[in-house]
Formats: sequence, C-alpha cells, structure tokens
Amino acid sequence: MNNSRSIKAVEWLKSSGGITVTCTILVALAVSIHKGPYVLVNTLVTGGMWALMAIGVSLLFGVMNISNFAHGEYFMIGSLTAYYIMHPLKEYLLETPNSFLAFITPVLGIAGATLAGVIAGILTDKLIFAQLRKRNREGWLLNCFLITIGLSIILINLHMLIFGNTFKGVVNYWDVPSLALGDVYVSVDRVVVFFIAMLAILFFWYLMMYTTLGKKIRAVAQDENGARMVGIPVNRVYSTTFALACGFAALAGGSLLFMFPSYPTVGIAPLYNSWFIIILVGFGNVAGAVPGGFMIALFQVVTRTYMGEGWENVIPMFLISAILIFKPYGIFETKVRSVWEQ
Amino acid sequence: MLLKVKNLNAGYGFLNVLWDVSLNIGKGEFVALIGPNGAGKSTVMKSISGLLPPKSGTITFDGQVINNQDCAVNCRSGLSYISEELNLFTGMTILENLEMGAQMLEDKNKARENLDFVFELFPRLEERISQYAGTLSGGERKMLAIARGLMSNPTMVLVDEPSLGLAPQVTDEVFNALRLLNRQGLTILLVEQNVTKTLKFSSRAYILEKGKVVLEGPSSELITNDHVRKIYLGT
Repeated sequence: MNNSRSIKAVEWLKSSGGITVTCTILVALAVSIHKGPYVLVNTLVTGGMWALMAIGVSLLFGVMNISNFAHGEYFMIGSLTAYYIMHPLKEYLLETPNSFLAFITPVLGIAGATLAGVIAGILTDKLIFAQLRKRNREGWLLNCFLITIGLSIILINLHMLIFGNTFKGVVNYWDVPSLALGDVYVSVDRVVVFFIAMLAILFFWYLMMYTTLGKKIRAVAQDENGARMVGIPVNRVYSTTFALACGFAALAGGSLLFMFPSYPTVGIAPLYNSWFIIILVGFGNVAGAVPGGFMIALFQVVTRTYMGEGWENVIPMFLISAILIFKPYGIFETKVRSVWEQ
Repeated sequence: MLLKVKNLNAGYGFLNVLWDVSLNIGKGEFVALIGPNGAGKSTVMKSISGLLPPKSGTITFDGQVINNQDCAVNCRSGLSYISEELNLFTGMTILENLEMGAQMLEDKNKARENLDFVFELFPRLEERISQYAGTLSGGERKMLAIARGLMSNPTMVLVDEPSLGLAPQVTDEVFNALRLLNRQGLTILLVEQNVTKTLKFSSRAYILEKGKVVLEGPSSELITNDHVRKIYLGT
C-alpha cells in the first residue's frame, strides 16, 4: 500500500504537472533568497486571490459551459462595495476613534463585497442565462461568450457613469504595526488576506467534496440530463454555482482593495490572470486552479522584480502560448468536456 | 391507469419521429415496447420522462398531465427514467451516484433502506462501492444506472435498452432483477431489442414501427403472432 503510493508520487513528479509544480517551488525559493522574502509574500497574497478568481471561472465553465469574460467585473463590484462600506466608516473613525469599529470595518467591507458578488451572480443567472437556457441550446458556447463580453462592457461603463472615473481605494485595512518575521516586515493586511484566501479555498473544497450541495453541483457538471433524471433542480444548482463563482470574485476584489483601488477597469487584470491560470491548468479543472493561481502570481512577481512593470503580462502570456503549443490540455492534462460532447 | 399516453407526436427540430402514439399502462404491469432500430422507442421514453417536450398529445401520469413538466419534477412525482446512455456521474463513486439518486428523499432512513435493497439486488455494486462510475464495466454501469433509478422510491420506471451491449449472462441478471422488482409492485415500461427474451419476461407489449404503434397485446399472444415471428424472431 505504502509502496504503491510512493510509486504514484514518483509518477506524478515525472508528469508535466509535477515538473511544473516542482520548478515553480524551486524558482520561488531561489528568487526569495536572491531578492528577499517579500517576493514570496507578494506571490502568496495575490496568488491566493487569483486562485479564487480562477476557481470561479473554472466552475462556470465546468458546470455550465459558460466562458465568463465578465468575471473581472464581479471583482470590480466587490472592490467597489468594499470601498463604499470602508471609506465612510474610516472617515467617521477619523473624527471619533473607536477601536472596535476600526477592527470590524475591513471585516464588514469584505463581507459586504462577498454578499454583493453573490447577489450580482444570482441576478446574472436569473436575468440572463436562465432566459437563454429556456430557448434552445444551439450555439450556447458562442452566445455565452458574446453575452459575457457585452455584460463586461456594460458593467464597466455603468461604473464610469455612476461612480466616476477615479481611483477609489483605502490605504490600509488595520492601523497596526507590521508583523516582524526575523528582519522581514509584513503588513498585517497581507497576512490576513492570505488567510482569507486559504479559508475560502478550504471552504470551497469541503463544500464540493462532502456536502449534498457540492455533490449536486458535481453531478450537474458531469451529466446534466443524468442530474435531471434523479430529480436535481438543475436551474437552482446553476444559480448557486453562479452565486459561488461571483461571490469568490467579489471576495477577491474586496480583500485586495488596499492593493487594487477600485476603478472601472480594475477587473481586467484579474480576468486575464484567471484565464491565464485556466489555460495553464486546463479548462474546467477546478482543483488545479489553486496551484495555478500561485504559479501565475509567481511568474508576475518575478518578471516585475527582474524585468519591470511592463513585462508582467508579456512573460506569462509567452509561457502560456508555449504551454498551448506543447500541452494543449494544460499542465495537468485535464480532459476537456464541452457542450459539443453532450 | 397509471400512465396514459394519448396521440403523442414528438421529434427533434422539424423532424417528426412519433406519429399519434398511444399507450396505456396500469399499476403493477410489466409492459415492453419493442421495435426495430430507429422506430422511435427511445423517443417515446424521452417524451414521457420529460427530457424531450412533445409536440402534441397528452401524457398523464397518476392522474396528472405531465406534458411540459421537467424531468426533475417527474422524478419527484415517482416516475424514474433509466436512459440508454445511462447518464451516470462518471467522476463520482458508486455510493455517491446512489446518494444522488436518493437526494430528493426527505427521509434519510428510507434512503438507507433503499441502498440496502439495491445492494441486495446487485451485490456486485456493494463490492465496488468506492469505485468511480467511469471505471466500471458495461454490465456494472447498467446495474448502477438501474440501482440509481430505484433509489428515489419510484412508482414506475422507464427502462431503455438494458441489454444493449451486455453478455447474455449479465442480461439475464438484469432481467431477473426487473422481474423481481415487478413482483414487488413496481410498474415497468421496458424498451428492448432483444425480442424473444423481452416477450418472455413482460406481461404485455407494444410494437412500434416507423413511429407508429402497429401491434399490441399480451406477450404470450404476440410471441405466436405471424408478423412478430416473421420480422423479429426470424422463424
């Protein structure tokens, strides 16, 4: 038993996924030794959040066959909501200091952002995709592609129209001194954000593996007609999936407000990143999105450190093109299942 | 009558497959629907189950018209469908598949009873309880699909081609299970191509050709019918 497990582990290390993961960890260690541990910290903070974004996109593709190009806009909704909850509270706190309120403000902001994302996701499903499902499923993939791009343009311009074209951000979440790890100082915000991402991923994993709701979502993803045949209310599962995916995007937006102030096109970069991740790990591979998120974050942090800001999308893009040429199903060799096969 | 289909017309897109098909199935009956390839047998099943909305006609189940009702709602009202493609959740284990089959039951004890029951019916499934459905053999998949269809306590099951692609021994196993279920009071509508065996097991049969019902009657009579003997039994 133990022996077969170790054989499996060795086999996995030899596969493309294993090689990539090992190389990524080695690069991360080498760069942190060379340039200082803040590289690792940045990678972990943003990587966790990109993983959350990618989980959402991957889930929507795997369960509903929707390639969501509006996913960044839910990030934007999250950061906007977090700003409009945190900013007034922070202003108020300047006049009347209150340590409890100061502690609870970011929590409220992030929770509010998640809630806003969940609501936006349910609305999107009910108002747009449920209506499309009622018609026929012909050209579903292309229709969804066009709809999500349209939705993205509408949401970006609505933001511009209503909230203006300005940067809306907060400087920090908690006014407390940075944590000292040896001679490295890490701001508390970053540590908390990393733990939020990890908790969300754990929650998601537990939900999908051990709860009835998660099993229903997996059942619908694997065979929609089969799910209908056993009496699963498919439309409700779709709405829940949308709520989950968009909630995660908004959670990422709210949590990263101190790094990415809210403005109309703030969602573009996270959207690109989540698509990078999905191409890297393979379409519909939800579990792979987690290591993928950290890999993409590392690519970007490393290119930013060694080559400068402008290159941070170029290098990952180049790597992804290479992956698409040599490993078209992603590094974990996911079997792509799509509407054409249903 | 438990299930009543009247003048059903159904098809895909502009193409009509079924022309005025009428079926009547009473409670506790074991009815077979036989016919050559492309006669529209599976289309009948899909229309009744709710996967394919019929173009016209009425389908009544347990006194209620279920024409445009979703498959999931039909399943909740006791009409279980076991399709030809099986539609198993291939990335889930046998146990998870069966759990999903019983997910609409409120009473979890009842679900456990059903689980024991289907394991008694197909002991092979219990041996492979944590194996993924996608890795099972053809016969085991059929058994799993039937077991999953039974987990929801149906009053009637629609079984589509359970013998397709199976070894004769396994086919017997599946047919015996169906007969046992029927004796316990389950109403069964069975679609089959294996005519001899089906007519032996079922109590009544309909013969469908080119989307129309051409013959119906008790199986024992049909087996001696000249038309059936000539076309299906080759004697």
